[in-house]
Amino acid sequence: MRRRLNRGAFAAPLLLVAAQSADAHIVASRLGDFYAGALHPLTDLQDIVLWTALGLLAGSLGAARGRGLVLVLPLGLLLGFNVGLSFGSTWIAPLTNAGMMVLLGVLLAAGLRINAAALLAIGLVLALMRGVVNAGGVGTATDRVLFGAGLALSGYAFITLITALALTFRGSDTAPSRAWRRIAIRACGSWIAAIGLMVGGFALAS
Amino acid sequence: MIVRRLALTALLCVAATLFAPQLRAHEASLGVIELREVRPGAFIGRWTMEPAIGASHVDLRVPAHCFLRMPQLICGDKGLVGPITITNLGANMSAVLLKVIPMTGASRSYTITTASPVVSILAAGAPTLQTWIELARTYVNYGIDHILLGADHLLFVLGLIWIVRAGWRLAKTITAFTIGHSLSLAAAAFGLIGIPERPLNACIALSIVFVGVEIVKQQRGAAGLTARYPWAVAGAFGLVHGIGFASALAGLGLERRLLPGALLFFNVGVEVGQLAFVLLVLALMWAHRRLNAVLPRWGDLLPAYAIGSVAMFWFIGRLIRVLGVT
Amino acid sequence: MTARNAPATRHPRLPRSTVLLAFLAIAETAFAHEQQGVPGGLASGFLHPLTGLDHLAAMVAVGLWGAQLGAPAIWILPITFPLVMAVGGVLGVLGIPLPIPEAVIALSALVLGGAVAARLRLPFAAAAAVVGVFAIFHGHAHGAELPKSANPLAYGVGFVVATGLLHLCGISIGTLSRSPAGGRLIQGLGASIAVLGCYFLVRNLAALP
Repeated sequence: MRRRLNRGAFAAPLLLVAAQSADAHIVASRLGDFYAGALHPLTDLQDIVLWTALGLLAGSLGAARGRGLVLVLPLGLLLGFNVGLSFGSTWIAPLTNAGMMVLLGVLLAAGLRINAAALLAIGLVLALMRGVVNAGGVGTATDRVLFGAGLALSGYAFITLITALALTFRGSDTAPSRAWRRIAIRACGSWIAAIGLMVGGFALAS
Repeated sequence: MIVRRLALTALLCVAATLFAPQLRAHEASLGVIELREVRPGAFIGRWTMEPAIGASHVDLRVPAHCFLRMPQLICGDKGLVGPITITNLGANMSAVLLKVIPMTGASRSYTITTASPVVSILAAGAPTLQTWIELARTYVNYGIDHILLGADHLLFVLGLIWIVRAGWRLAKTITAFTIGHSLSLAAAAFGLIGIPERPLNACIALSIVFVGVEIVKQQRGAAGLTARYPWAVAGAFGLVHGIGFASALAGLGLERRLLPGALLFFNVGVEVGQLAFVLLVLALMWAHRRLNAVLPRWGDLLPAYAIGSVAMFWFIGRLIRVLGVT
Repeated sequence: MTARNAPATRHPRLPRSTVLLAFLAIAETAFAHEQQGVPGGLASGFLHPLTGLDHLAAMVAVGLWGAQLGAPAIWILPITFPLVMAVGGVLGVLGIPLPIPEAVIALSALVLGGAVAARLRLPFAAAAAVVGVFAIFHGHAHGAELPKSANPLAYGVGFVVATGLLHLCGISIGTLSRSPAGGRLIQGLGASIAVLGCYFLVRNLAALP
């Protein structure tokens, strides 16, 4: 039962993304600026991949180290969002995103046990970056307070759920039968780093 | 004590900044357009009340088989059936009332708002399967939109979850709330009961204040009414919230003959949205327990005060409207 | 994996396959509509490794061989392969040419299939080097064919996920090698992959000027 639940939980976001990416803009115009802000990061894969990578990393490091991200990510997003509103959001190069993906992916794949402060610092930089980029979704008629609130809440929910799911999936360190699960998470990290490499290559080529 | 009072003040300030723009937006300009059928399938459109931005600036889109060049709207044999939408609704044009006056039969009116910028015009004759599918699609979506945008309803449900936590008791409580609001929604939609909207909204806000107080009571160790009989409280307040749903439905300009169907689909939509919200909250609560990321002891009462003060803020605002002080 | 968690297989398999089908259906419709944007990129990236038969066979062979070699290959492989392949992908995207890429890819199916068929037990470092070289060529082909219209990130996500799933298939089938009959079945599978690779190699070499 538990396994099936897990499976559903991991498959659902995939479906959600596939189904929603098509009509998120319609949803935004229909449901107002709060939901526009909440859905904006979910329509682009950049945030999904990066937030997922961060959540997996936090989950693989354990509850004690990963817990702080629940606050750091939304607050960093808000801060970055305000920076983006004031200074524009086009100056973040696509290569930065790719670099972040490679960094997070390699940390995951190598299974390095970085400490909580390093994790929070990476999380904060990532959140600031993505906050700035997401400020690009604000139009002239958009209510910035509602959009920002939606963005921060969406980041909070996403990181909390992914971290907890990763933690649950990984299981405790003592159970030997679950060794393959930690390998699966590390393989995910290597996939993410691979995606980052390809995107970076594309950014360099164009 | 001082910390608590400070927290309360801070929360009130946050709430005021968060919700003030929404309140203002409600008073923005309204437009009324009338579509009168002059030949079968051909309409003459006329703005009986122009929106503040000027009639020519309204981006009105008609179904694909229709052709609109104001003041003429030509729809051919199929007639005026399908979605009509206004894409540039916003801060300076909040709603447009659309009146369709056919050559035979009663006139119908629809409201296009930022919350639901698309209205579906249904055929005048006997309902076909197509009509039902169109009706289902439209009203399930209305229902989902309404609950997702109804911050007051969601806050009430959040309060219930906070008190009852999880498990079988929560399932019963949410079911009771659902039954309560379905009953009163039906009763109000069929005109069996009628309650003016403003006092009702104030009551809804007060119900959330009540839940906030109950959370505080529970955390001080006293079992409040909600903790003991959650389903009774949920059912009773569900009745109040349901009338609120009905007033939203009444604003959509519904035809009498399609009312039962529309009501059913609207309710389905509300349940879908509510269920999604409950599941999200439960998932987040599970995640917090799993991460052991819980509020420190001094913050135990924070959620209760947050829920209570936002609701109290709404209540005062709505009470002022009831008294007509604005 | 399946062998170790045998009790789990008693659960109906429906949910996973349903979800996968649904996902494929969505991806498929998006594919039919247009190649642009996120859905287009996801779909074309996901389908790309699945459409080339030589790619597909080589990826499965990598998984099979990893499972035959056992630890540590079985778990280092899925972690490092995507990374090495992405390096090849970057070369492809940047337009840095590699010698006769199509022939090397066909050769990889032949060699890896042959290794599985012969139950070749190379030292781990040697096996890793062989797989690594081929990984660069596979990645290069994918990178070079990256459609210009598609969202590159979505393409990358789809492509990496599909490749990973192919490895998983290979590893899952490979765990059969613990039983003697299963082991023989896998050797047969490796032999057919080698034959396939041989066919593609001959065709590619014949096409060379």
